[in-house]
Amino acid sequence: MFNQLYESIIIGFKAVFQSKGRALLTMLGIIIGILSVSLMGTAINGIDNVFNQTLGMFGDDVLYVQQFPWFMGDAEWWEFRNRPQIREEYSEKISKRAESISYASVEMNRRVTLSYKENNSEGVDLGGRGWQSAYIDAAKIQSGRYFTQLEDKNASRVILIGSEVHKLLFPNVEDPCGLDIKVNGLKFRVIGVFAEQGKIFGMFSIDNMAVIPFQTLKAVFGRSQWLSISLKTREGFDKDYALEEVRSITRGLRGLRPLEKDNFAINQQEAMEDELGKIKTSIAAVGIGIAALSLLVGGIGIMNIMFVSVKERTKEIGIRKALGAKRWVILVQFLFEAIIIALIGGLIGLGLTSLLVGVVNKFFVASMSLGLVLTAIGVSIGVGIFSGIVPASQAAKLDPIEAMRYE
Amino acid sequence: MSLLKLKNIYRIYQIGDIEVRALNGVDVDVEKNEYVSIMGPSGSGKSTLMNIIGCLDTPTSGGYELDGMTIHQEIKDGSGIASDDQLAVIRNQKIGFIFQTFNLLPRMTALHNVELPLIYAGVPRLERLERAKAVLESVQLADRMYHRPNELSGGQRQRVAVARALVNDPSIILADEPTGNLDSKTGHDIMNLISNLHERGNTIILVTHEHDIAERASRVINMLDGKIHLDNKKK
Ligand SMILES: Nc1ncnc2c1ncn2[C@@H]1O[C@H](COP(=O)(O)OP(=O)(O)OP(=O)(O)O)[C@@H](O)[C@H]1O
Ligand SMILES: [Mg+2]
Repeated sequence: MFNQLYESIIIGFKAVFQSKGRALLTMLGIIIGILSVSLMGTAINGIDNVFNQTLGMFGDDVLYVQQFPWFMGDAEWWEFRNRPQIREEYSEKISKRAESISYASVEMNRRVTLSYKENNSEGVDLGGRGWQSAYIDAAKIQSGRYFTQLEDKNASRVILIGSEVHKLLFPNVEDPCGLDIKVNGLKFRVIGVFAEQGKIFGMFSIDNMAVIPFQTLKAVFGRSQWLSISLKTREGFDKDYALEEVRSITRGLRGLRPLEKDNFAINQQEAMEDELGKIKTSIAAVGIGIAALSLLVGGIGIMNIMFVSVKERTKEIGIRKALGAKRWVILVQFLFEAIIIALIGGLIGLGLTSLLVGVVNKFFVASMSLGLVLTAIGVSIGVGIFSGIVPASQAAKLDPIEAMRYE
Repeated sequence: MSLLKLKNIYRIYQIGDIEVRALNGVDVDVEKNEYVSIMGPSGSGKSTLMNIIGCLDTPTSGGYELDGMTIHQEIKDGSGIASDDQLAVIRNQKIGFIFQTFNLLPRMTALHNVELPLIYAGVPRLERLERAKAVLESVQLADRMYHRPNELSGGQRQRVAVARALVNDPSIILADEPTGNLDSKTGHDIMNLISNLHERGNTIILVTHEHDIAERASRVINMLDGKIHLDNKKK
């Protein structure tokens, strides 16, 4: 039994390699199918990785009152554009009135160039944040400290830098705290360094940033029209409750009537989660669609060459049956031939995927999981069985006399 | 006790409205270690009979017993009719075929061709190789084991086929015009080989068109129109 099974597998293998060109051609569908399945899986995997990084950037108990929602359609942009600006004093007012909020802080941003001696770091995202940010921000401080309430109030020239900035300005200094750098030519003292947070899509580092007190930014560079209020939910309070409370307070600050729509946005990490979920679903739909189609085409291709293979080997089948091969032996022989073709196609597809992932990985933290590999192998075997079973059982049922007469 | 017993065998082909009676009531008994040759004009049913004896085909009606086993019942009660796979086992274990056109698998070596019946019998690899080599040696092909059929002469190919027929130690060897595709010299060699098998105790049934070949047998059956016309046993 095992002998015969082994023999059937070997015969299947030989059959595939005797007609390599033909087999390779029919593998194309399977290759594309497996490629799209595994690329899809890898992309979803990568999105999850990106998401896990953004978790580090935005605390999951923080609400952001901003002019724009994080996700919007093109058509709505003008409507949002004309909304009244977010004002600095909202921070204090909301934190006073909302029982569900423990800390509130205001933030604005601008792009600046930082320099230390001959080293420059351009396009740095400089945030001016209220002192309360020390209690709201999810970013960890690796060395040094946050600025104090007093430093914020006095608009002190103190700065915290991201790890990317640290690398660029102080390649040889382990702890730059206490050193003076220039922000667009103005002198600031480094008081802290943030821990590394990584890169999103491998391209834009979220570590190419620096933070100074809000009042300093306002005094030195002027007020930006884009303000953002960060609010930390007080422990023991439900986030949805906090959201509703913040919304009604903000509506009050804006003087909105009951039927008027909100003219501000309250953003939170969950929105990002939802949006990523949508992207994942559409990638999955497209990937599965392409995969199903090409696997079907590939499967039909394999079925076709299996019929050809059975025809070509009719005499051989007759001889084997005359010598005592049972039906299942013939069936397994041809089924394996089909499975081997599909499996090789699948493995080529996986190989191509891992090559592509290797390239993409330079920009995108993506990985092929073991589950994905096993799924791809399983799918290939399934396609092989699907496309081999009919030709193989046709071969198994051949009448030995007629088959032997076939030329 | 007879090795095979055919009783009132009919094999009828229905082609449209026309009924072809390839076998039209055949009765034969063959004893162990008999050497039977079958003669008769073309289309008289010789190959059809061989196929039924060899369990490659089943009769339309009639009884067939081989080596004490009922292959086909004369009066059917449904119990004694072998299935496709059972017939495969019987062919594998009881029958050795030698065909006019050799019927070797072209892409395999002589050795692998001879191994085939042993593979289907489930014989382990080492024993298989040993037995196949021994049989190939006995037909003087020790130096051609790793050649493929297209690297062998017609006579050598037929010797591979003889080796393949012998390797499973069958109860009967069936040879349908084994010399039909060979020149008379090599045909003579193959016939000597077959006569040797008979002397060593094998049962042989052979179809031929040539009288001098038929005369080697101890019994000559003459067929005509799907029936046994003459059945001469020599003493
Ligand atoms: N598959 C088939 N379908 C229809 N008729 C068949 C079939 N096989 C054989 N026959 C018919 O049965 C008859 C006997 O054929 P068979 O092959 O047994 O003859 P034979 O005696 O072996 O002839 P030859 O000496 O030419 O080999 C012939 O008339 C043939 O046409
Ligand atoms: Mg014939």
